[in-house]
Amino acid sequence: MAVSAAADRPILDPARARPFPEAALPVLRDPQLRKNVAHAIDVIQGKRARLVAEKADWQALRASASRIKDVALQNLGAYLEEFEARCTAAGGVVHWAADASEARRIILDVLRAEKATEVIKIKTMTSAEIELNPFLEAAGIRAHETDLAEIILQLGEGEPSHIVVPALHVNRSQVREIFARRMGIEDLPDDPEALTAAARRVLRAKFLSVPTAISGANFLIAETGSVVVVESEGNGRMCLTLPRTLITLAGIEKVLPRFRDLEVMLQVLARSATGERMNPYTSLWTGVTAGDGPERFHVVLLDNGRSGILARERERQTLRCIRCAACMNACPVYRQTGGHAYGSVYPGPIGAILTPQLQGLRHAQSLPYASSLCGACYEVCPVKINIPEVLIDLRAQVTDQERQRARRFFDPLYLGLRVAHLVFARAWLFHAAQCLGRVGLRPFTRKDGWIHALPGVGAKWTETRDLRGLPQQTFHAWWAERAKGAK
Amino acid sequence: MNGGASSREQILERIQRATPGAAASAAALAEDYGALPRAYVRAGRLDADACVELMVHRLREYDAEVVECAAEELPGTIAAQLAASGRRSFVAPPGVPAEWLAAGFDWRIDHGLTAAEIEAAEGVVTAAFCGVADSGTIVLHHSASEGRRVLTLLPDWHLCILRASQVVETLPEYFGRAAGNQGSGDEKAGTRDLGTEGLGNCGHETGRLPRLVTWISGPSATADIEMTRIKGVHGPRFLHVIVVKDRKLGTQGPATQGLSVQ
Ligand code: SF4
Repeated sequence: MAVSAAADRPILDPARARPFPEAALPVLRDPQLRKNVAHAIDVIQGKRARLVAEKADWQALRASASRIKDVALQNLGAYLEEFEARCTAAGGVVHWAADASEARRIILDVLRAEKATEVIKIKTMTSAEIELNPFLEAAGIRAHETDLAEIILQLGEGEPSHIVVPALHVNRSQVREIFARRMGIEDLPDDPEALTAAARRVLRAKFLSVPTAISGANFLIAETGSVVVVESEGNGRMCLTLPRTLITLAGIEKVLPRFRDLEVMLQVLARSATGERMNPYTSLWTGVTAGDGPERFHVVLLDNGRSGILARERERQTLRCIRCAACMNACPVYRQTGGHAYGSVYPGPIGAILTPQLQGLRHAQSLPYASSLCGACYEVCPVKINIPEVLIDLRAQVTDQERQRARRFFDPLYLGLRVAHLVFARAWLFHAAQCLGRVGLRPFTRKDGWIHALPGVGAKWTETRDLRGLPQQTFHAWWAERAKGAK
Repeated sequence: MNGGASSREQILERIQRATPGAAASAAALAEDYGALPRAYVRAGRLDADACVELMVHRLREYDAEVVECAAEELPGTIAAQLAASGRRSFVAPPGVPAEWLAAGFDWRIDHGLTAAEIEAAEGVVTAAFCGVADSGTIVLHHSASEGRRVLTLLPDWHLCILRASQVVETLPEYFGRAAGNQGSGDEKAGTRDLGTEGLGNCGHETGRLPRLVTWISGPSATADIEMTRIKGVHGPRFLHVIVVKDRKLGTQGPATQGLSVQ
């Protein structure tokens, strides 16, 4: 049981991560990990399916949710400016960060001005995207994660493998081992209740003493300048109300036009994410409120590649994502590989389209291929992102990119495709190739009509699947014969 | 803001170039928005009785303790709940009626209590803004009777007083009520039936949408370890609700639709 993940800690930086097929191998060989992942996914999937089925207006909710996001994205500039004006009027400070490094610097500047040496955090994938924790650590500021799953990962020096249940790959005895070792508790039983209680005790002190907090945002409301955070444990409410200063990091695509749009979003989010009618706690706040919550509030609006996605007509739908994780729970590929193979903080089908785009297709080019294109992700997505459509489009872009490179000219695959192009475009060549193929493949075709093993490049196919032998007569030949016979 | 202004212009300019189809004016934008499809269920189908019944059922599914009582029984019911909890020290927001503060317990009223003082209390008693039956959600707008956000967070035991007339069936109906507090003067009478009526001031600043909202659906929970649902991670571990029958129930005939109890 490889608990000490530190040794071979997965790399979630797309610029350094290995290609998906390689990164997936260790997981495929780790039955414990696959069991943990499959168990967690089965539980969420079952709950989700039951709660979606009871909702007679589910498709209408999906239609509204996706259109609300479309209108918000179509008019993103206007809505962001409206949000900024309202939030500022309510006492908040709005910052704009063009990329990850600017966001990190803005956050550090605020923390320095607060003379902060530590900060409490609510789980935010966006902060993982900009690799905030190691940056703060290097600057001498200790970041304490407060979400149970994030604590497990932080103490166990692991990496998130899911966007809603980030530690789903870790089981209870592994959690027990991590907590016992890092919290110095010796006789800790391994039932989830006792483990949760241990985390509660350790964190209470932090909540009451650390005066600065960092959060993400599930939604920003343009109409009111409010921010919404959806959570289960209450660590979010702690971070949002107890500290003196709160910093919220939010992608620019998080904005919704109106307060009322939440009546759609909150209904689809909880059902899709955790299979609940509503998650235990949802908080909305607007700037600062005298006597209630933080005295100082900063929002950092992060672009980091998002405006580039916005500009592409077919890919724009990627930005509708509300990070519910339903697509990865439904994905047959994710089920086998877990999240780390995706080499990004965003795994699964949404990661396969989001990560390469956020990277401007400079990295993570293998991800659009990490899919069987079965469409299960599209079917469950509450904002109707047609992930297979975007995957295919990205594959085309990756192929175009590769074609530009000179060495591709001699690549066997590309060479083969060029030959195929030549052959398929000419009937006489095609017929000749068929004759040749029949003769050439005959030695490999077994009695049952199948080819089980081929030499050379052909082995790439037969290693994993059989190939039907070529029939003795082609359709063309049969047709011609039949016409003759009719006369 | 350390060069933030230039990044702001840069981002907004990129967005502008990326969205040639953006509405040209505020009026055009309002029209785009107004054309959004909203075919989902926006009004409940249950009558008032069934709606409250569903709310109670959902709360119990979340392991919340629920008791129902008539308006005149409320002070006695509160006292009984407090006694049954085996706790002694409670906090309450300043806007709750004096008769809620049962004798025989230690009360601290939140006129700016410190976090440590609130943390030291064994329980908290508050009103609510609204209840959403469909998901068993209690909505707080943090008015004077609902308390500051921290008040319903630190104590381990929360007793929430919900009036039957505050319960709606669907989430969209809650949003209707919240928007009803926009005092533009043109809202229909009836969306404003959230008056005080001696049961605590549940109205909040009129004239705008709520500034602070907390939606609570059952006690704090996590399923982070092997998807086993554990109650009470950081918020209150115990949620108790008293539903006050403050309107004449059972006058609208039998429920038109049974509860979908699973
Ligand atoms: S792509 Fe859709 S299903 Fe996947 S996380 Fe985003 S919103 Fe959820």
